[in-house]
Amino acid sequence: MSGCGAVVGGVSLDNVDITNQAVIQGVISSGNAPASVGYARLLDRNDEFVAEVPISKQGEFRFFTVAGDWTVVALVPGANSRTPVQATIGKVLDVDISVTK
Amino acid sequence: MSNQALVDAEWALAHLDDAKVVFIEVDEDTEAYAGNHIKNAIALNWKSDLQDPVRRDFVNKEQFEALLSAKGVSNDDTVVLYGGNNNWFAAYAYWYFKLYGHGDVRLLDGGRKKWELDGRELVSEVPSRATTKYVAKDQDRSIRAFREDVLKAIGTQNLVDVRSPDEYAGRLLAPAHLPQEAARIGGHIPTAANIPWSKAANEDGSFKSIDELKALYEGAGVDLKKDTIAYCRIGERSAHSWFVLHELLGVKNVSNYDGSWTEYGSLVGVPVAVGDEPGSA
Repeated sequence: MSGCGAVVGGVSLDNVDITNQAVIQGVISSGNAPASVGYARLLDRNDEFVAEVPISKQGEFRFFTVAGDWTVVALVPGANSRTPVQATIGKVLDVDISVTK
Repeated sequence: MSNQALVDAEWALAHLDDAKVVFIEVDEDTEAYAGNHIKNAIALNWKSDLQDPVRRDFVNKEQFEALLSAKGVSNDDTVVLYGGNNNWFAAYAYWYFKLYGHGDVRLLDGGRKKWELDGRELVSEVPSRATTKYVAKDQDRSIRAFREDVLKAIGTQNLVDVRSPDEYAGRLLAPAHLPQEAARIGGHIPTAANIPWSKAANEDGSFKSIDELKALYEGAGVDLKKDTIAYCRIGERSAHSWFVLHELLGVKNVSNYDGSWTEYGSLVGVPVAVGDEPGSA
């Protein structure tokens, strides 16, 4: 049994078969540099919470999902932002998000 | 929110140096605690400390006693749990401490995320606590459900699936921060209502108000006079919902099915519903 814990920055793509899933990943920046503290939250097409990961020290996050419309919410101390994305099975979608405080 | 089961940051700050208050960070990922943590907090690992190393089950009473004795937790200590993942694993540990009858256990509202987002201090020093002789009680089965209880509840009692709508419907097989596994079927237990755990939490991970929480469950048509079993994928998100129902709203006949979808979705011959509707018994 594997747990449900969220790995900082998201689970590595190593040894993951991405042909049967859609990957949404990216970097959250605050000011002109990657945010070092914060969270990336994924919402579904109805704005329902689906998942959340603490970002890495380099601001990175990654989600594994299915095709469709999703929203990535960036949460950093004192600010947040929403970024709509469209994911495709078998593709890695890179989304870089800049958050303004 | 005023409730003895829940403490806020101000309460925590006033008790960080209180020797009879033990702050415990509970994560699946031990790197979080090793990186930094709330001052004087110790750590428990959801898996390696609380799960039997061989069977899929909890550590037994004697193992739990040995664990807490080694960690320096006494029976009369106030235990304050917090963690990542919006307190999922901390809520699971809270339920676990209740299962083994700890007297005074509380949850830090918002957990590690709110603490971090509020810019509060985290430290790297690991405290040392003298060992104790912790004595646990027998498991309180009234708050833990097994698969037989779940099968009997289909169509007769409340089943509450607290996963995301896409997991409930079978479109996702795991939370989206994890790779989507292919071997297990998707769907939910027939007649289960879908009330995602996340509807009980604010964006910073803290719990919504009591009035909002009441409205959430009443609005979903769950008759809380009936027995209620909450489940998710492995039982930690449903421990969060169990905490809301049992500890914040005071609904006593609520149990957590920790086998959850990883067990039920692998059983041979049991009914399964797919799609957005609860389905029939």
